[in-house]
Amino acid sequence: MEVVSRSPEAVRDAVLTKAAGKRPILLAEPRYISLDYFRLLQSVEGVLSHPRPDDYRSAPVGVTDAFAAVARTGSVCVDIGADIAGYVSLLPRLHIVVVDIKKLVFRPSDLFRLEPFARPTFQENFVFISGPSATADMGPLVRGVHGPHELHILVLC
Amino acid sequence: MPKRVTSPREIAAKESKQILRRAIRFALDTESAAVRHNTRSFNRSRYQATVALPDYDALKDEARRIKEDSLANRIALVQQLSESVTRNGGHFLFARDAGEACRYIQEVCKSHHVRSLVKGKSITSEEIHLNAALERDGIRVVETDLAEFILQSADEQPSHNVAPAIHYSRERITALFRRKFQTDLPLDTGEDLTRFARERLRKDFLAADAGITGANLVSAECGSLLLVESEANIRMTCIAPPLHIALTGLEKIVPSRHEFAPFIELLAVSGTGQPLTSYTSVFRPPLSVPVVDFRGAGSAIREFHMVVLDNGREALAQDARLSEALYCIRCSACLNSCANFQVLGGHAFGGVTYSGGIGATWEAATTGQLKLAHFSDLCTGCSRCATQCPVRIDIPGLNVELRSRLNHLVPLSWAARMLHLFLGVPPVEDASAQQVFFAHYDRAARWGTMFAPVSNFAIKIPGTRWFLEKMFGIDRRRHLAPFPKKTWVDVAANELTAKTETGQVPEVLLLADVFTNYGAPQRGLDAIRCLHAAGVRVRLTKSLPEGRAALSQGMVETARIQAQALSGYLATENAAGQPLLVVEPSVLAMILREYRKLLSADSFAKLQSFTSDLVEFLSRHLAQHARDPREIFDIRKFAPGPKLFYHRHCQHRAVSDPSITVDFLQSIGFQVTCSQVECCGMAGSFGYKKDFYDVSQAVSEELVEQWKAAERANGAHTLLASGVSCIEQLQGATRRAVLHPVELLAQML
Repeated sequence: MEVVSRSPEAVRDAVLTKAAGKRPILLAEPRYISLDYFRLLQSVEGVLSHPRPDDYRSAPVGVTDAFAAVARTGSVCVDIGADIAGYVSLLPRLHIVVVDIKKLVFRPSDLFRLEPFARPTFQENFVFISGPSATADMGPLVRGVHGPHELHILVLC
Repeated sequence: MPKRVTSPREIAAKESKQILRRAIRFALDTESAAVRHNTRSFNRSRYQATVALPDYDALKDEARRIKEDSLANRIALVQQLSESVTRNGGHFLFARDAGEACRYIQEVCKSHHVRSLVKGKSITSEEIHLNAALERDGIRVVETDLAEFILQSADEQPSHNVAPAIHYSRERITALFRRKFQTDLPLDTGEDLTRFARERLRKDFLAADAGITGANLVSAECGSLLLVESEANIRMTCIAPPLHIALTGLEKIVPSRHEFAPFIELLAVSGTGQPLTSYTSVFRPPLSVPVVDFRGAGSAIREFHMVVLDNGREALAQDARLSEALYCIRCSACLNSCANFQVLGGHAFGGVTYSGGIGATWEAATTGQLKLAHFSDLCTGCSRCATQCPVRIDIPGLNVELRSRLNHLVPLSWAARMLHLFLGVPPVEDASAQQVFFAHYDRAARWGTMFAPVSNFAIKIPGTRWFLEKMFGIDRRRHLAPFPKKTWVDVAANELTAKTETGQVPEVLLLADVFTNYGAPQRGLDAIRCLHAAGVRVRLTKSLPEGRAALSQGMVETARIQAQALSGYLATENAAGQPLLVVEPSVLAMILREYRKLLSADSFAKLQSFTSDLVEFLSRHLAQHARDPREIFDIRKFAPGPKLFYHRHCQHRAVSDPSITVDFLQSIGFQVTCSQVECCGMAGSFGYKKDFYDVSQAVSEELVEQWKAAERANGAHTLLASGVSCIEQLQGATRRAVLHPVELLAQML
């Protein structure tokens, strides 16, 4: 996890640093953070917002935003509803999540107490992501199974 | 000699005690080491994680209430869910049994020309044998949870709910993959094995025509599924193929997404001891995400089918004594905290589908065959699981009920009838001779004590132990404590008249439980001396059986008769409601916990209000009178020194906090190291039975290891335990004297 200041430059630089030169980077258009913060990142070569099936197969990095974060469990809540975030947060080995500090709640159940959750149509599909995919089924704990091997959370402050 | 077991499938269905015995042998020989390591690691993590949840108990209450309400409203919720799924654009089926569920899923697959499908872990799909049904149709079924992938490769049934391949060590997985996949790829570490499976399965995910998942919970209001996982295979199964089928039992339906909240916070903590697993998904299929054409099959539209399964659940819901099992959220806290499960795993302590103490009710209910619950014999009633269950299911209570019903499958044998006659109690229910013997321990012990020198001599005659083993299944390797010439009640008469000074207050009633009365009268005297020293006047009760032994044999009616007799006697004897003190923790827990189901609410509440553990009473009493325990108990008089190794009694921990005893001993000046095991393994009559002797010994190994480790680190310790059976077990395993806390205290007077 890392804190990032509210500027398009800072978001671009933080993502590119975490990506460490790996390309392409799949970017799911943010829905809970102003798109302005991602303009500069979008214009970087190798950052794809409209991937083809082969890009999903091979891209090493995926970037999504999150609509909430949970302090106690270190989770981010990613909406995988409408666009490509469901794939972008799942198929690449590295998942970078950008979340606004203002969206931080204390514990998972707090999320369900937020006013919009009273409507069944709010957040129809989302995932609490609390780490890279992992297993202990093969003996020792191994990080990196069917989903990302690494998770980086960038907190916009 | 029975044939050697070559595959866990052979011993999966526990149709008889004989299969159970073979399964135990198999599990101890081949699977125990991995199961011990993995369950104990989960168990430690859960204790650490629950301590970090300050409102853990409130969450459990909330979760329990949601399950109670949801099950009570199950018919309306199923109806509402069916409407929600349809409104969302999905298809809904309520399947009455396994056959109906399988046929529907087969039809859906056929109509979509499904050639291969991926599956998330679903115990419910194991229950209905879905894979076999689909494979008969020529469909390639790929289990994608790595544990299920191992089991599919090995053709074995699950041995645990959360980690179905918990019985596999890394080394055994390597050997299995080498044999099964004939590959030269490196497979020698967890990383290697995971990479191998990941690369294989990634192709399967992207090529699959359909995905099948279960669900941890389902919201009736909006049709959302709660899916808890760490490997991301469930997310892949839901999103990659265009067709998604979710299969779930009717007990998983709750009113809305709001009811997911406490379960999200409890599931991972209770299961693996993580605050949350890597992925906790709340999905409302069909997903709105467009289908990516990984298969090269052209564009496709998402389709969703929800299958809600009855398969015995409705009947279980109407079975008042067992319906609680439906609250289970499959977190496996009960399996990991079970001492017997820790050394066996679910291939012995489990059936074809369901594992552990909770699994016996499930196995019987979903198959409709009571006899398949024979593995419930491995539940000793130690009650550790009951305190760890996030929805507070009385799992030992379920197993007592099952055992009682299993007993009634076999009519009373001639041997059991003869034994009843010999012991002088009329039979009130069906049970084996062994069960009758243990249930009426007090009767046998009364004879033994009455003819003490002769009976003790008789036990030593060659052939007696052979006879006891053949007749009652009492393992001949087990040491049998000699009968005393006089019981506690006999010897206490002198002590009480000699030492009682009138005017001492308060007066307490001391329960002359049958185990101490016939098994350790000297310990009983020590209890009286400790109380006298603290200025407490003591009245000793008659020695009546309280029903613990009968209950653990599944002889519920016998236990009820004994409980009512004792409760009636105490009501007259203790009309004033003076404190009733108990030295034997299994008896204490019987009164404080099990009597809830055996007595009227009123009688239970009364008994509960005045019954307590003797040492805990002493500690409270001295604190109330502002007396320093060191004035009474002088540690300098205890020659072996201040280091104690204390094994806390399993059932005691279900009704009270044995750390009160630890604190009390520390206030006297002792250094106390506590065992960190769930149970000693003796568990009353369990460890005496020939069928379970080896399990009992295997369980005690960890306890002995911890004691040895304490001695290696800090020198000699005095062994301390409070239960009559823990003391026997520890003495047998360590060849050292083991003291009850009152015996320790009495040595310092």
